[in-house]
Amino acid sequence: MKDVILGMSGTDWALLGAGVAAILGGIGSAIGITIASSTASGILSEDGSKFGKLLPLAAMPGTQGIYGFIAAVLVVIFFNVLGGKVDLPAAIGFKVFLACLPVGFLCLVSAIYQGMTGAAAAGIVAADQPAPALIFPALVETYAVLSLIVTILMLLGLQTAAQALQ
Amino acid sequence: MRPPLLKAVRDSLRYGYAVGRVRALEVRVLRDATYERLVDAPSFAEQKRILSDTAYGPHLEGVQTADGVERGLEAAMHEVYGLVSDLGLPEPIVRFFRVRHDFANLRARLKAEVLGADAQSDLSSLGTVPPEVVAGPVEALPEHLRRVAQEVLEALAELDERSERDGGAVAGSLAKLEVVDGIVERAAYAELASLAKASGSEFLREYVSLQVDLANVKRVLRSRRRAEPLAEVEPRLLEGGRISRARLAAAYQLPLEELAERLASERALRGVAVEELLALDRLDVAADALAVRMMREGRAVPLGAEPVVAYVLAREAEVRQLRVLLIGKLAGLGAEELRARLRKVYVSRG
Repeated sequence: MKDVILGMSGTDWALLGAGVAAILGGIGSAIGITIASSTASGILSEDGSKFGKLLPLAAMPGTQGIYGFIAAVLVVIFFNVLGGKVDLPAAIGFKVFLACLPVGFLCLVSAIYQGMTGAAAAGIVAADQPAPALIFPALVETYAVLSLIVTILMLLGLQTAAQALQ
Repeated sequence: MRPPLLKAVRDSLRYGYAVGRVRALEVRVLRDATYERLVDAPSFAEQKRILSDTAYGPHLEGVQTADGVERGLEAAMHEVYGLVSDLGLPEPIVRFFRVRHDFANLRARLKAEVLGADAQSDLSSLGTVPPEVVAGPVEALPEHLRRVAQEVLEALAELDERSERDGGAVAGSLAKLEVVDGIVERAAYAELASLAKASGSEFLREYVSLQVDLANVKRVLRSRRRAEPLAEVEPRLLEGGRISRARLAAAYQLPLEELAERLASERALRGVAVEELLALDRLDVAADALAVRMMREGRAVPLGAEPVVAYVLAREAEVRQLRVLLIGKLAGLGAEELRARLRKVYVSRG
């Protein structure tokens, strides 16, 4: 009998998880950067001297896309997708998919909110206030980092389980 | 209903650029200290020197008369409205600011007709309709003004007929001017409410609602003081405020002090004291303070139409203040007289 869950093999599930992590993180980052950049562009069109201070605010939501990418690469490395000899049991593959969800969804949402926080913090730069504007969007980053750690820990556990079965 | 995150994303993408530009421009809005310097300036020339580094400087260069000040301040507002047009905001928001000048122009034109005067030189060029069109034939006016002008002309003709029927004389100018004010004001607020609704901005809707409440409350208190019958006052109350016409009419029956207490307890007038409602000169200041509070709240919104709307309203308030200070100085008013006429503007910070 074929080892599948919902018609998908373990490898299919693992690759779907990697894809979800990379895609959702990327979507979140694209939206977050667009939000922060549009406000930064508005400020720069009146005062070009603030480019240096605004660039980190606009770029910061980009990290979530990187976290999703890291999770996807780890799936590929841990489960030997690059080696070409991939034969994961369906149960393990499905768990790999589940392990990718924290980083995927949290990075999607946190990147968007980080973009909004960055756009609001850009007002601090526009007003020439001495307060460090970068702190507030950085606080949002914490949760994206935590979700990546959770995903990595789960993937490590699943890698060990997969190796034990071989 | 749209999920909050999607709405937040949509608003952020739609207004992000506009809010960024406004955030950069807000720092150039005049501060309390500048107003104080303008009040204490020994001459109009010194006032112009103080304003030379601001957005008004280029428009006031070489100006020596009150007419010149009006034209200079109008040119500064053209810049602000031009900015609003450039920001890519929804059309109803862009139109919201300018259409008020259309109605103000129409009112001036119709009042001038009643008084047999020429209004064209007093009309503002800030509206969506050029002053010469507003001053021209009624048939040539755009739809939103033609309807109102025709309604006013019919009401005036009816007033004349009724007066002739009753006493054989033509109705007095004062009664006619009240007719013009009443009809144009109602049409203006209806148009603004409709634009605010079309804009999808809750803030703009609340702003119109507050203005309606303030106009109604002022009318009720002034009429009650003059002991006018409710039957005359009620039809002149505007629709669209948070305080319903029925509640205002019910409160109108009370003695003046109790009426003021009832109004002060309304949520729309939160923060206004009974004493302020009872003193006409303080009422205007309290009404301005309510609008200022609302603009402050709008300015604090991180992303959305609110900061842009609040900025434009603040610039309008700024122009009103400057008009008082500059023309007052040209007319020879002293520092104390000018200070008494000065009101707190929303973004002015110490």
